[in-house]
Amino acid sequence: MAELLNIILNIVRNALRMLSLGRPAIDNSLNINIKCSTGNTLSVGLDPEWDIGEVKNIIAPKLGANPKEVKIIFAGKELEDSIVIKDCDLGEQSTLHAVKLSKSFVKPSSGQLSSVIAEAISDEDEIAVLQETIDRAGSQFYVHCPVCNDLRLGKLRVRCSKCKSGAITVDTDPKSWSDVLKSNKISGHCEQDDCPDGAFAWAEFYFKCTEHISQGENDEAVPLYLLRNNFKNIPCLACTEIKHVVFVFPCKEAHVTCLDCFRTFAVLRLRERQFVLDDAIGYTIACPAGCPDSFIDECHHFKLLTNEQYELYQRFATEECVLHAGGVLCPQPGCGEGIIVDSSCDKVACSNGCGYVFCRKCLQGYHLGECNSLDNASLSDDIHHITDPARAAQARWDEATNVAIRVTTKPCPRCRTATERSGGCMHMICTRCSFHWCWVCQIEWSRDCMGTHWFG
Amino acid sequence: MAATRRLQKELNDMRVNGLKCFRDIQVDESNILSWTGLIVPENPPFNKGAFRIEINFPAEYPFKPPKINFKTKIYHPNIDEKGQVCLPIISAENWKPATKTDQVIQALVALVNDPEPEHPLRAELAEEYLKDKKKFFKTAEEHTKKHSEKRPSD
Repeated sequence: MAELLNIILNIVRNALRMLSLGRPAIDNSLNINIKCSTGNTLSVGLDPEWDIGEVKNIIAPKLGANPKEVKIIFAGKELEDSIVIKDCDLGEQSTLHAVKLSKSFVKPSSGQLSSVIAEAISDEDEIAVLQETIDRAGSQFYVHCPVCNDLRLGKLRVRCSKCKSGAITVDTDPKSWSDVLKSNKISGHCEQDDCPDGAFAWAEFYFKCTEHISQGENDEAVPLYLLRNNFKNIPCLACTEIKHVVFVFPCKEAHVTCLDCFRTFAVLRLRERQFVLDDAIGYTIACPAGCPDSFIDECHHFKLLTNEQYELYQRFATEECVLHAGGVLCPQPGCGEGIIVDSSCDKVACSNGCGYVFCRKCLQGYHLGECNSLDNASLSDDIHHITDPARAAQARWDEATNVAIRVTTKPCPRCRTATERSGGCMHMICTRCSFHWCWVCQIEWSRDCMGTHWFG
Repeated sequence: MAATRRLQKELNDMRVNGLKCFRDIQVDESNILSWTGLIVPENPPFNKGAFRIEINFPAEYPFKPPKINFKTKIYHPNIDEKGQVCLPIISAENWKPATKTDQVIQALVALVNDPEPEHPLRAELAEEYLKDKKKFFKTAEEHTKKHSEKRPSD
């Protein structure tokens, strides 16, 4: 009995020892998903020192094939047997694609493929070619990662545009951002057995975050392609410092600012409501040097701002959309709900928001008849205050605010946005509708205003 | 802050390269956003003196333009009694963040040297400048001698 116990204990000890011996090997290994063309996905731990030939030896039996009939594909390239895993830019939980070559398949594709493979094998090379104009040594893409919710370094990956399988080899490397961002630019061969397009396929490029472990194939990052490594040492347009990472505006001159100045600029424009609502692009800004056709067309670049600022951006964008569509914003403090209105009716109810019912034209509480002009409004206030002006004014917080707004602001003659003049000349430009008006006359700015009371 | 770094650089450059028409640049050490300096015009009738100006940069500089004020009285169609001046290069709609302060100063000096009566701040002076240049020059020269600062000797 004791002997039996000893044997069992020994077995347990041995098992424990094996586990502890095994640990360094596990630490050193890379957990990789290998997706087979048969549809199975295998999770394997690979030693980074291994080469692809050894990987094929492991995979071949699962595919029911001879290792020579197996092709390993990663990031749009077939990996040759001699390539060592650690040189492949594979991250934890990356996906390799294993394809069994069928005889009918080898012939048509082999000629073209081999030339591609001879040209550029590793993923590193692919990135370097794309970033020809960017820093070669530290080939890097900047992305917004939704998982990390931050600016991150990204890696370029490719899949078949039809079946979305990563088992695709590309015919040529992408040479520019347009090759990557626009569809049907780079052709390739999809090796997925059931791909509806057969062997010919258009490559679809996408990005992954380099800084967290891949959470599967849908874990993508948005390329912030206006961010570049400043290998040309171009000084920032605004602060004139030369920074490592810069924002390159999409204008002809490709004006450059550092990221700090981009943030300052974007926040300033945002706070002043100087973003523009473009039908095709959305709510955006152009190059600070005022270049034509220079709108930032990937709005994720505004994710470079803080979360609060980005929320403000989204709120303003929504409001502009509502106003653009002929709607109004609920004037109740703290509400601001966007309401699409019937233009034949002046009575608007904030039914999805605070419930306030107001006049579409003057944005005051709903009333019958014509809207009160500002003068009439202050006149009626005077009448009210005759009873006990001081006490009444103190007792009514909202009224005091309204009066303060009325005293310190004037409405834009076109859109009626309450406007405060904090200094400078009498020439006002509405921050909301861009109307040029005169603070003194409260009509459109004219040469007469310029001549007689430009500065008051 | 972008404004501080940029202004420090601009100030150094201007002190090293020295504009002939803009001298004696003084900046309060605690506030680099406020400069003063001496405009030294070349053309008559303003070449009899020098004019002190103040340049105020906003915290958002260079995404917002600086403001310029004359501290010395000047008899000029484009500069009013309060010292306010209308200079297109620093107007909100024309301003470019890449514009350097020395370019602004050069535009200002050009305006002082050659008034633009088409865009006047003082309509009566513009009219005098256009209709009776001799009288304008005489008054402006007397005004300059009376109010302006001494020109630097070198």
